[in-house]
Amino acid sequence: MKKSNKKSIWVFGDYRNYYQNRVTLQLLSKAVDLAKIIKAEVCALIFGHEIDEWIMEYTAHGADRILAIDDPALKSYSTERYLAIIEALAKERDPEIILIGATDFGREFAPRLAKRLKTGLSADCVGLDITEDGLLLQLAPSFGGNMLAEIITERHRPQMATVRPGTFKEIPHNYERKALVERLPLMKNLPKSRVRLIEYERSVEKEHTIENASVIVCGGRGMGNKEKFKRLQELAKLLGGNVGATRPVVYAGWADHDALVGQAGKHIKPKILFSFGISGAIQHTAGLGEANFIVAINKNSQATMMKMADVAIAADASDVLNSLIKELKKRIRE
Amino acid sequence: MQFNPCMKHKLIRNSVRNFAETELAPVAAEIDRNAVFPLDVIGKMKNLNYFGLQVPKEFGGAAMDSISASIVIEEISRICAAVGLCIAVHNGVAIYPFLQFANAEQKKRYLPKLASGEFIGAFSLTEANAGSDSASVETTAVKRNDEYVLNGTKIFVTNGGVCDLALIFALTGFELGRPQSSVFIVESNYPGFLRGELEDLCGMRANPVSSLFLEDCCVPEKNVLGKIGDGMKIGLSTLDTGRIGIAAQALGIAQGAFEAAVKYAKERQQFKKPIASLQTIQNYIADMATEITAARLLLYRACSLKDEGVSFGCEASMAKLYCSSVASKVTSLAVQIHGGYGYSKEYDVERYFRDAKVTEIYEGTSEIQRLVIARSILSQLIL
Amino acid sequence: MLNLVVCLKQVPMVTELPWDEKTGTLRRDLAAGMMNPACKHALEAALQIKEKYFAKITVITMGPPAAEEVLREAMALGADEAILICDRLLAGSDTFATSLVLKEAIKKKCPKFDLILCGAYTADSETAQVGPQLAEELDLPAAAYVEKLEIFGRTLRLRRLVDNFRETLEMEFPALVTISMENYKPRFTKLAGLENAFCGKGVVVLDAAALGIKAASMEQQCSRTKVRKVFLKKAQKENVLIQGTASLVVTEFLDKYQRTISTAIGKSIEEKKLDEKEQ
Repeated sequence: MKKSNKKSIWVFGDYRNYYQNRVTLQLLSKAVDLAKIIKAEVCALIFGHEIDEWIMEYTAHGADRILAIDDPALKSYSTERYLAIIEALAKERDPEIILIGATDFGREFAPRLAKRLKTGLSADCVGLDITEDGLLLQLAPSFGGNMLAEIITERHRPQMATVRPGTFKEIPHNYERKALVERLPLMKNLPKSRVRLIEYERSVEKEHTIENASVIVCGGRGMGNKEKFKRLQELAKLLGGNVGATRPVVYAGWADHDALVGQAGKHIKPKILFSFGISGAIQHTAGLGEANFIVAINKNSQATMMKMADVAIAADASDVLNSLIKELKKRIRE
Repeated sequence: MQFNPCMKHKLIRNSVRNFAETELAPVAAEIDRNAVFPLDVIGKMKNLNYFGLQVPKEFGGAAMDSISASIVIEEISRICAAVGLCIAVHNGVAIYPFLQFANAEQKKRYLPKLASGEFIGAFSLTEANAGSDSASVETTAVKRNDEYVLNGTKIFVTNGGVCDLALIFALTGFELGRPQSSVFIVESNYPGFLRGELEDLCGMRANPVSSLFLEDCCVPEKNVLGKIGDGMKIGLSTLDTGRIGIAAQALGIAQGAFEAAVKYAKERQQFKKPIASLQTIQNYIADMATEITAARLLLYRACSLKDEGVSFGCEASMAKLYCSSVASKVTSLAVQIHGGYGYSKEYDVERYFRDAKVTEIYEGTSEIQRLVIARSILSQLIL
Repeated sequence: MLNLVVCLKQVPMVTELPWDEKTGTLRRDLAAGMMNPACKHALEAALQIKEKYFAKITVITMGPPAAEEVLREAMALGADEAILICDRLLAGSDTFATSLVLKEAIKKKCPKFDLILCGAYTADSETAQVGPQLAEELDLPAAAYVEKLEIFGRTLRLRRLVDNFRETLEMEFPALVTISMENYKPRFTKLAGLENAFCGKGVVVLDAAALGIKAASMEQQCSRTKVRKVFLKKAQKENVLIQGTASLVVTEFLDKYQRTISTAIGKSIEEKKLDEKEQ
């Protein structure tokens, strides 16, 4: 196999998440854009067993090269083994950039990889670009307030970033595309994994997530109390949507952690988002990147969320909710 | 002189605030409306030492200093004054006399139960014809063999509906022609101890304030607190402590109403801007903040004098007088800032407004506090 | 006896801090600090282990002197030892540097640990990096987002939910876990505990020198990523503002946007009405 002399942008193939968020495909699409600017190739990494499906899929979505290790020993995800594999590959091939989806696995795996490669990492990026100096510009939500930071990794390589699912759009597949597929053997000196997977199952109760819902009714602390918050469910049901929540609300126990929308929670892409009593801290709004039409209801017309909205309704969130439920029921019944 | 809270006091405030906001805030309006004593929250408070604030560790208490104890009452009252009242009275006028006047056997028998909250305590001085004038108590205690037989009616007993133990003031005779009163430790299961209906009050509705009836209630002689005839002494000394508790409660109410008012003033839009940008409202907010801060300093000073073991009666009265007056004024302004909404049960300030008033009345009215303060000032040789 | 180490962080009590455009920093002074919520869950997990098995809990935090407060809180809840790493030199530490500093402190003060527990993420930055990076520093088997822990001798068995997969993992001590907020609901602090936390043992304070960390090496550790620019997220759109009483705003909104809602829910509200009648 010929090794490339070209710069390389690596995209970690998080195929286990394919059916949930297709973040790898989204990253491949962005990597293709970035690669054009810095004249690099896009390289997808796939480690697992019986992975031809993913080789095909990633090729179809923009990978120029695939580094694949197909071995029964890699049947299930393993942080420790992946770390060892990528460490070895990176030392040999010196990638310019490594992009990893900010899935639960990616968020656990990427920081360790960055530490092992002694390089920097920007977490949860909401945008990527190339600077005038040819560096990876990592746009990441930053500490606490409503702000974004432009981060660069000046000297250390690779430049690493995790990106939340839903940040970029995947390019349409093209199964005619060809990539250079390097099927590598499993390294011999790979350390034994100290973490043993005893059992795992796909959690069925989590399948109907709000990530794919087209109508989402989100509530914040401005709803007043738990009982008032619970009424959001009624509106969601009326519109065939899901309920989302901000972090303070989840902390207060008004909603389950599953419903958390934002940087540490779900990234949503509804066609319409109702935002009740939410001020609009970045931790929440970072999850709203792809909401198509936002209706915000808040007593405070100056709230960030109100400014982000297409329609801002300045009134008590709970009152409007009750009224809206009543009115919708009436209009539906008429 | 140290005017800023130390790390311990900050942490105590944050911890109690977290508890109150999580457990009490969701039910505060409802238990007020329905006049329900929230037994499940009270149960949690028992496990967290809220019923043994200043009881020594050997008896299972938290052994807190007086400022810490005030912070606890303040923070509970900031969310729910009725529950704040429950622990203020239990830890103040019900437990303090034990710490000061009980003998070793009585301490051993009752303090662990009081500190764990197994026994909720009450303090019964007030009668139909005896309020501020404690000497005119009409309940009697007559010695018969090795027990005392109590007869009489106590009214407006805080915690009365749920108390397991009450300190009852009763007339035990005359000395030099003046009535002589004594204090009895009466358990609620003693025969002849009866509770009246709960009072239907303007505020503090979640506290089971009731009358207590003593009908030939037999109390063992070993349950006399201090000595026979110590009633006046115990009463006066206990009330000083009680006043600190009520001052803390009033301060908590003021703080709660103040925060609600500031939040509302920032949110409420009139003339296309928040009303907080109007100077009139800013004046209100400035006054409220200043007076609350002054009240807090006055209260903590009384607390620190108490912990130093020096006389603190005058300062306790000043704190009680001022904190309760600030509570009334601040809650009234908080309603005013809320406008029509403030007069509605939909907002909490209406409850704060009702709860605040009684802090100027019980544990010695404002008029009595002024009397105490004036007497103390006038008796001083050097001002 | 098990040796547990819990890493804690003090975070601002409010979720949204004002941004000072003049100085380009957060107005952290405007909010009091509190123990990061996920860290509270991690501490709770440690306390439950202590109750069930025999264990000693050491809590560690890095931060300004005021961060001692979260250590005292942890002691009030039942932690046995507390270490505060405090040095101006460490003030700007990113996750990369923080995990290095924590490693040095753990190696120095509790080298015989069995299990390190961290919160899965912090409320103020949410990068969720320090736990995994500390595992890397100490070369430990680790798992993030842990919901339930069990201990069998020297074996740790845990359950977690990652990317919709419910996993049961096992590893041998020493190990590191980060605890999610799904389980291990933090207990309330006992008032007696709060009093005890201030009259018993003190907090051990370590500075950079005590950990053998030099200014030059810190600079090198921190310089991996560089913030080029920070800016407020300009979210302003051309938007429509509706004001008035609840019923009026709802009527106005529905009259204007019924079509938009219909498009979003995939059928018009009138059609939905027909559907419901059919049912």
